[in-house]
Amino acid sequence: MSNNVVIKVENVSKKFSHSLKQMMYCGVKDIAKGTLGLPSNSDKLRKGEFWAVDDVSFELKRGETLGIIGPNGSGKTTILKMLNGILMPDRGSIEIKGKVGALIEIGAGFHPMLTGRENIYINGAVLGMSKKEIDKKFDSIIEFADIGDFLDSPVKHYSSGMYVRLGFAVAVHCEPDILLIDEILAVGDMSFRMRCLERISDLRKKGITMVFVSHDLYSVDAICSRAIFLNYGKIKEQGEASKIIQAYQNYVSEEVRKGIPKDIMLSSDSSSKGIEITNVQFFDEQGKEKDGFYGTERMVVRVSYSAYRRVQNPIFSIGFSRSDGLLCCAERTKYHGIEIEHIEGEGSFEAEFERVQLSPGVYTFGVAIFDSTATFAYVERKQDIFQVKSPVLPTTADVTSVFTPLVKWKIK
Amino acid sequence: MMKKIKVYVPDKHLKIGLGIWKDMFQEIIASRELTWRLFLRDFSARYKQTVLGVLWVLILPLVAVAVFVCLNKGGILNIGTLDVPYPVFALFGITIWSIFAAGLSATSNCLIQAGSMIVKINFPKVSLLIAALGQVIVEFLVRLGLLVLVFIIFKTVPHWQAIFLPLVLLPLLLITLGLGFVLSLASGVMRDIPNAVVLATSLLMFICPVFYPIPKSGLFADLSQWNPLSHLMNASRDIVFKGYISNPEEFLWSTILAILVFLAGWKVFHIAQPKIAERI
Repeated sequence: MSNNVVIKVENVSKKFSHSLKQMMYCGVKDIAKGTLGLPSNSDKLRKGEFWAVDDVSFELKRGETLGIIGPNGSGKTTILKMLNGILMPDRGSIEIKGKVGALIEIGAGFHPMLTGRENIYINGAVLGMSKKEIDKKFDSIIEFADIGDFLDSPVKHYSSGMYVRLGFAVAVHCEPDILLIDEILAVGDMSFRMRCLERISDLRKKGITMVFVSHDLYSVDAICSRAIFLNYGKIKEQGEASKIIQAYQNYVSEEVRKGIPKDIMLSSDSSSKGIEITNVQFFDEQGKEKDGFYGTERMVVRVSYSAYRRVQNPIFSIGFSRSDGLLCCAERTKYHGIEIEHIEGEGSFEAEFERVQLSPGVYTFGVAIFDSTATFAYVERKQDIFQVKSPVLPTTADVTSVFTPLVKWKIK
Repeated sequence: MMKKIKVYVPDKHLKIGLGIWKDMFQEIIASRELTWRLFLRDFSARYKQTVLGVLWVLILPLVAVAVFVCLNKGGILNIGTLDVPYPVFALFGITIWSIFAAGLSATSNCLIQAGSMIVKINFPKVSLLIAALGQVIVEFLVRLGLLVLVFIIFKTVPHWQAIFLPLVLLPLLLITLGLGFVLSLASGVMRDIPNAVVLATSLLMFICPVFYPIPKSGLFADLSQWNPLSHLMNASRDIVFKGYISNPEEFLWSTILAILVFLAGWKVFHIAQPKIAERI
């Protein structure tokens, strides 16, 4: 292992069993074989087994941060557990240099009946800290956890946020050389998330190597220098984080599109209410239909509908949501003082965006037609997807932001 | 600074051979603080939110002894003459037996109970078993207090050699831990085991000298001849009530067996340890 490499994963595979009964049988057999000193032949699949992680190799140097992204069940957490030594690989080898700290689940090992204070010591010991070490860092831990008067209450009375804060506080104080983080920032409130990210970037500056598993591509992009895109246990792509995130987003938008049956795409279930949205199309400047745009491009959205009865003074509404659900913009005809007298029969309307002005990513386009008071929607449709592509040229756009407005700088 | 390199590969134990014993010892030494913490945790959490608290440790043997005293007084159970009053004999028996019975039940359950921790944190699981056995030892000590009280009430004076009792009990602890190692693993794979352990220990109790001495002849005597638990229990009673061990030969082979069971169980546990997380 060369001097700077701290994690070396070579052709690692891990198998799991679909059936519990099969797992029981194999478990007994494996343990018996191990006891008798026989090889377990773990590199072959038995009936009902599958490779949850398949032939994964990567290396990580000191101070690097690796993001592992991929759909559910692609083997991300399994890799993390193998790096931590909780699970053994069935094929290949893993070499790790230094003390490993893992945030696979925060507060695992907390005893609900015991107080926060007691649990700090227990959790610390489980993570490999001595009492002296914990004594020394105790104040810093409780300051970070920010649980106030609850320190001496049983943790079962804690809110889930406090629980997570305490767990995170203990875990980051065990000063690992390598930190494994599994989807933890999803819990906790905004300010705590900010503090976690701050702490993580502090640790990164100290030269701690990190492996970060998350579905939140925005934090992966913020934290990681490199990334692996995992699918069905195999590495689909690895490299620079932003490129891999892009590849993953392409994949997701492709999958989402495939997943929507054609008949749903074309009809809607609210025809009983009188209006149906029959189609949503995106066009570029030249009037060419497409679904991928650059942030600087002009985009025209055309919504076609069928009104089966006469609807007086409808309000058209459109909006974009980011892949994590954040509503990025919402517009209604009424905001712009547009009054539509009535609609009936086939029709369509268009909304033209001078510039897309969104950061690269996958967005869902939502459209609704409301009654004249904007309280009741005749029809809603939130299934059309378009993608905002990364510009080829270097740009100031930060993927973690929402907008890429056109900014004119004046330096005096 | 050179950091220690950890290597994870399949079937690692086959490659290191006898070095495994060194690993096993180092693991226990290195994890003593964790063991102590887990022990404290179980201890302080156990009787929280109970009214009677630690008294429960005393209630169970007292009820059992009361039942057998009644059976004895009522003439249903005739055990002949004893060196000491029957309640003292019975309470001593159940106190010693509990080390084995409760110890086995606690150790065989402890991996399942810690399941959520095992699948999320990498730590030496051997600590869990030792901590679980620690609880059993604490219970034993509490019951020993009760025993002293009963000795005083029935004016029974133990021989001074009773101070060697801990030493005589050591093989019993080792065999308990040794079996516990294997049973805890088996429970991780098959959830039938903890139930089976409870059943087996309660049946086993009847062929061990717990509430009555084993008769000199007959089926029970023959069975008892080959039962190490029986010899280990007799030895502990002898040392307190007689001041010497009446069957040293049987005690010796039972002790050797206990040590072998312990070492074998420990090794199996150590080898199977990496597989625990995926089966629990």
